[in-house]
Amino acid sequence: MSIQKKLSRLKGYMSISSQSDDQKQQLSQQPNEKVSIAYLEQWESFGAKPFFFDGQYCFVRKVSYPLHYQHGHYQLGELYDVHRQWKHSRLEHPLSSKHHEVSDLFFFDTETTGLGSGAGNTIFLLGHARVLDDRVVVRQHFLPNPGAEVALYQSFLSEVDYTTLVTYNGKAFDWPVLKTRHTFIRDVVPKLPAFGHYDLYHASRRIWKYKLESVRLVNVEKEILGIERHEDIPGFLAPMLYFDFLSTQNPEGIFGVLKHNEIDVLSLIVLYIHLSKQILGAIEMKNAAEQFEMARWFDALGEISAAQETYERVAESNGQEAAKAKWNLSLIHKKEKRYEEAVAMWQELLQDKSDLLKIKAATELAKVYEHHFKKAEEAYTYALHAYEIWKSLVRTFKQKDETREQELLKRLHRLERKLKK
Amino acid sequence: MRKKSLSQLIEELRNNPNVAYWHEIEPQEAKTVPMPDSVDERLRKALEQRGIAALYTHQYSAYEALQEGKNIVAVTPTASGKTLCYNLPVLQAIAQNPSHRALYLFPTKALAQDQKSELNEIIEEMEIPINSYTYDGDTAPSIRQKVRKAGHIVITNPDMLHSAILPHHTKWVSLFENLKYVVIDELHTYRGVFGSHVANVIRRLKRICRFYGSNPQFICTSATIANPKELAEHLTGEPMTLIDNNGAPRGRKHFVFYNPPIINKPLNIRKSAAVEVNHLAKEFLKNHIQTIVFARSRVRVEVILSHIQELVKDELGPKTIRGYRGGYLPKQRREIEKGLRNGDIIGVVSTNALELGVDIGQLQVCIMTGYPGTVASTWQQAGRAGRRHGDSLIIMVASSAPMDQYIVQHPEYFFNRSPESARINPDNLIILVDHLKCAAYELPFRKGETFGHIEVDEIMEFLTEERVLHYSGGKWYWMNDSFPAHNISLRSASQENVVIIDISQTANHKVIGEMDRFSAMTLLHEEAIYLHEGIQYQVEKLDWEEKKAYVREVDVEYFTDANLAVQLKVLEEDKTAERKFVRLHYGDVMVNALPTIFKKIKLSTFENIGSGPIHLPEEELHTSAAWIEFSDEIFPLGTQTLEQVLIGISHVLSHLVPIFVMCDRGDVHVVPQIKAAHSGLPTIFLYDRYPGGIGLSEEVFKRYDEIIKEVKNVVESCPCEKGCPSCIGVTEETTDDIKQTILAFLNKLE
Repeated sequence: MSIQKKLSRLKGYMSISSQSDDQKQQLSQQPNEKVSIAYLEQWESFGAKPFFFDGQYCFVRKVSYPLHYQHGHYQLGELYDVHRQWKHSRLEHPLSSKHHEVSDLFFFDTETTGLGSGAGNTIFLLGHARVLDDRVVVRQHFLPNPGAEVALYQSFLSEVDYTTLVTYNGKAFDWPVLKTRHTFIRDVVPKLPAFGHYDLYHASRRIWKYKLESVRLVNVEKEILGIERHEDIPGFLAPMLYFDFLSTQNPEGIFGVLKHNEIDVLSLIVLYIHLSKQILGAIEMKNAAEQFEMARWFDALGEISAAQETYERVAESNGQEAAKAKWNLSLIHKKEKRYEEAVAMWQELLQDKSDLLKIKAATELAKVYEHHFKKAEEAYTYALHAYEIWKSLVRTFKQKDETREQELLKRLHRLERKLKK
Repeated sequence: MRKKSLSQLIEELRNNPNVAYWHEIEPQEAKTVPMPDSVDERLRKALEQRGIAALYTHQYSAYEALQEGKNIVAVTPTASGKTLCYNLPVLQAIAQNPSHRALYLFPTKALAQDQKSELNEIIEEMEIPINSYTYDGDTAPSIRQKVRKAGHIVITNPDMLHSAILPHHTKWVSLFENLKYVVIDELHTYRGVFGSHVANVIRRLKRICRFYGSNPQFICTSATIANPKELAEHLTGEPMTLIDNNGAPRGRKHFVFYNPPIINKPLNIRKSAAVEVNHLAKEFLKNHIQTIVFARSRVRVEVILSHIQELVKDELGPKTIRGYRGGYLPKQRREIEKGLRNGDIIGVVSTNALELGVDIGQLQVCIMTGYPGTVASTWQQAGRAGRRHGDSLIIMVASSAPMDQYIVQHPEYFFNRSPESARINPDNLIILVDHLKCAAYELPFRKGETFGHIEVDEIMEFLTEERVLHYSGGKWYWMNDSFPAHNISLRSASQENVVIIDISQTANHKVIGEMDRFSAMTLLHEEAIYLHEGIQYQVEKLDWEEKKAYVREVDVEYFTDANLAVQLKVLEEDKTAERKFVRLHYGDVMVNALPTIFKKIKLSTFENIGSGPIHLPEEELHTSAAWIEFSDEIFPLGTQTLEQVLIGISHVLSHLVPIFVMCDRGDVHVVPQIKAAHSGLPTIFLYDRYPGGIGLSEEVFKRYDEIIKEVKNVVESCPCEKGCPSCIGVTEETTDDIKQTILAFLNKLE
C-alpha cells in the first residue's frame, strides 16, 4: 500500500485536526528570491525594504514619530521629562534610568509562531523603538520565509548598539525565544550582546493585579494608559495570519500584525513614562490601593524612607488600605526601634474595624510592653485583649487555627506567671 | 530444634511427588582480567577502594570494544556487575577530557535515582569534579539550569528526553556538542509500542547530535532475551557488538518446576498455587534461609505476605519478612533493600518490581507463584536467587492457567529454547508520523533527508498539506502554534486515549493511566475488572464522550472478559505462503468491532460466574493482521463442528501467541470466522490491537509452523478428557468428541 494511502487511512489516529479541502495549502512555488520578491510594491508602499544577506532577504520597516506625538495620556517625548526626574531622585529603583541615556533604552517586542521557548517556535517579527533627540524611530524586522533567519538576525543584530531592553514579559518569553533562535545560526551571525533588562510586566503586575482583570498589555493600555486601538488585530491571531501569509505571500493580513507590533512598542514607551511617574510621584498618587502596592514595593526594595512616606499618605486615606498601611508602618517603626511611634500606631489599630489587625496590634503591644518597657501588667492586659478578640472570632466563624491559639495562650500564661512572682 | 541447611531441604524436596521437573545449572568460577593500563589512575584507585581490582571478562570486553569506537549491548544476568560495563568507560572518558558528556536512559525514575547514588559514590572517591544529575519531572527548576550547562552525566528517562530535552535542545548545547556516550539500561523493557516510540526518540536524538556535531556511541545493557543485538540495533539504528561472555562467578543452581496436585480430574483443576507457595516458603524461612517469593499482583503479594507471616510468627518476628511492590514509598523500599543486603530481612514477597535492576544482594531461594509470563521475565526473577558460591534453589509453582500448565509439562520448551525475542516496529506509520512532527519542530527537514533509514519526503508533503509544516527553499519548517511532544505519549500508540481515573479516595482522585480507544472497549467497559500494576480496579463509569474511565480499587476473585463482535475487511495482502490445506496471509485489515457482553471468570478455575451487557458504539481499527485460511477440502464437517474447531484452535492460539511473540495477552486478538467476508473460506485472523500494527502479527506469520506445532502439542498433552479451559476452552455447545475432532483436524495439517 502506498504511504499516501496509508497516511490518509490512519489520519484519524494522528493528532492532526482535519481541515476542509479548500483550506488545504497548495505547495507554494518558491519565488526565485534574487530576481523577484512577491508583492514588493505593496511592501515598499508600507515602508518596508528588503535587506539582502547571503542569498536571503528579510524586510526592514522604519517609521518615525515626532516627540510631541500623543499616544494615550502622554506624549512620547515625555520620556525626557521622567528621565530628568530619575536623575534628580535619590531613589534606587529597578526601573530607574538614571544610569542610562534616553537613547540607550530599547523598547522591544516580538511576534512568534507559537508559545513557549521550544525549538519549533519561530520569531517572525522583531520590533523595537528608540527615542532620539528629535524623533522616535520604530524599526521592524520581518521574516518573509522561515529559511531567511540568517538575514533577519543579521539585520537586527547589526544595529543593536543599545544597552538596555525594555519589554513586556520579555524576561520570561521574548528573550528566551530569541536566544533559542540565535542558537540555530550562532555560527554565522553576530553574538547576542549582554545588557540590562527592564521588564514592565512585573511592575504592572505588582501595581495593578488587584485592579485589573488581566494585566495583558492591551488591557493596561485601555484601562491605565488611555490608548485606543482602532481596527487592531488581536495578538493571538498573529500566528495564523503569518501561516496564511506564508502560503499565499499576500501581505495584506500580515501588515495588520506589523501595525499591531508598532503600537505595542510605542505603548512600551508610554507605559515606562507612566510607571516612572507613578514611582517618582508615589506620594501624590490618587488611588490608595495602587499607592499601597507602591509603598510595599519600596519596602521590599529596602527604600525605607520612600516606603514610610508613601505608607503615611495611604494611612491618611479612608480606604481599607489605610489600616494595612498603618500596620506596615508600625513594623517599620519597630524595626528601627522607634517604639513610641510604633505603640501609637498599634493603639490606633486597636480601634480598627478588622479584628485580625486588632489581634495583631494587641499582640505586638503585649510583646513590646513585656520585653521592651518591662511592664508585665500592661502586657498582660493587651495579651488578654488579643485572646478575647480571638475567642469571639472563633465563636463567630466556628473554626480555629490551633497553633495560633496556642501562641496566644502561651503568652498569656507566661505573663500570668510573671505577674504572680 | 536444629535448623536444617539448604542442602538438606533440597534433598527433601527431591522426594516431593509434586516436583514435575528438576534442572541443575553447573557452577562457574570467576573469570577475571587485570584492570587495563589505560584506565585513569584516579578511577583505578576509586575502584580499588570499592574492592574492584580486576574486571570480569564481560566488563573487560565491553570496555575494550568501546575504546575501539564500537557500540555495545551487554547481556548480563542479575548481580554480575553490569553497571560497571557503562560506568567504567563513561568515567574514563570524562576523566580524560572533562568536556565529554554522557546521557543515561532508564525506563523509570526510581531506577535513575538508584543509579545516581551509586555513581556519585565512585565519583566522590575519584576526587575529580564530575557532575552527575538526574533530570526528570521532580528536578527543581532552580537546578535545571545547572544540569543543562554543567552536567557531565545526565540521568533521565525516555519520556523526559522526548518531551523536555529534545524540544528544548538549544538550552542543552554543551550536552549535545560533547555527547560521547548514550547509555540505555534495561534494554529489554523497550519493546512493543513503548519500544517503537523510544526507537523514534533515539532517531531524533541522533539527528540533534548531528546538528551539533557529535556522534555518540551507544552502550546498552539487557537481561537475557533471544535477540539483544537485533533489538539494540533496531532501537538505536547502529551496528552493535554483543557482549555476552559473562565472567561473574556463580554457585550451583537448582531450578524446580512444581505442579500442585489435581483435585478435580474431569475439569483438570489443581490445588491453588498460592497455598502451595505458603507452605514451601514456610519451610525455608523457618530454617533462616533467605527467600524471595514472587507473586503476580499487588493483592497477591499482600495475601501471601500475611499468610507467611502468620505461619512463621513463632520462629521469626514480623519485621524479618516484608512485602515489596509498587506503591511503597521510596524510603520504605530503600530500607527493605538494605535489610535484604545485610541479612536483617530473611524473606520478601514481591511483585515483578524486584525484577528490574534494584540491588538487593543475592538470596538463596526464589519461589515464583505461577509462571511469570515470559521466559525472559522468569530468568530475571530466577536471577534473584544464586550466590557467587554455594547452592541456590528456584521453584516455579504452576497455577492452573493454560500457559503455566504448558510450561510445566514442556520443561524443554523453557530450558532448551532461547527466551523470547523483543520486537519493535519503529516504522509504524502512526508512531513514525508523530515523531516526525516532533523532529520537524526540533529542526527543519531538508528535502531528501532520511529519518533512521526512512525516506520522509512523502510524509513531509502530507504534513505540509495538513498545514503543520511549511516548505521553503528546500526545507520543511514547523509552522504550527502547537507543541507536538505534549500530545504524544510514549506509552501508547494512538492519540485519542481514554484516561483512567482512580476514585478510590473521594478527596484524592488521580489519573493512573491511559488506554487507546479500541482496547478500552473491552478492558474499560462499565463493571470491567481492570488490572493496573497488579492492583484490581472495577470500572464504575465509562464516559465515552469525554474519554474518561472512573475506577475504584477492589479485591475480587474474578476477571472479566468481553465479547467483541468483529467484522474484518482485508484491505491489502502483503505476503502469502502456502501450506498443506492452508494458505497464510499477512497484510492490512480494517476491523469493525462492537462489544456485546462481558463475562466474569473465576481466577482459580476459569469458570464463568456471571455476565452483563456492554453499551458502546462501534469502533474502527486499521491495523496489520496475519490470517490462516483453510481450504474447503480439509473440511467435510458440518458448520457447527467447524465453528467449534475454529473456536477451539483460536482459544489455544490466544494463549500461545503471546509466548512466541513476547507480548501481553490483549496485544494480539484472535478471531475465527467460518466464512471470511473477502474469500468465503474458514479463516482465523490474528491482528495487532494497535492502530497501524506493531509487528506482532508479522511475527506470527513468520513463525506459523512452530506455533501450529505447539497448538497440537498443547491439545495432545493436556490431561483433560473432553477439553478444558487450559487447552481448547469450553463453551455450552461443546460436544463430547470435540477434542478428538480438533486433533484429527490438526493432524491433517502436517
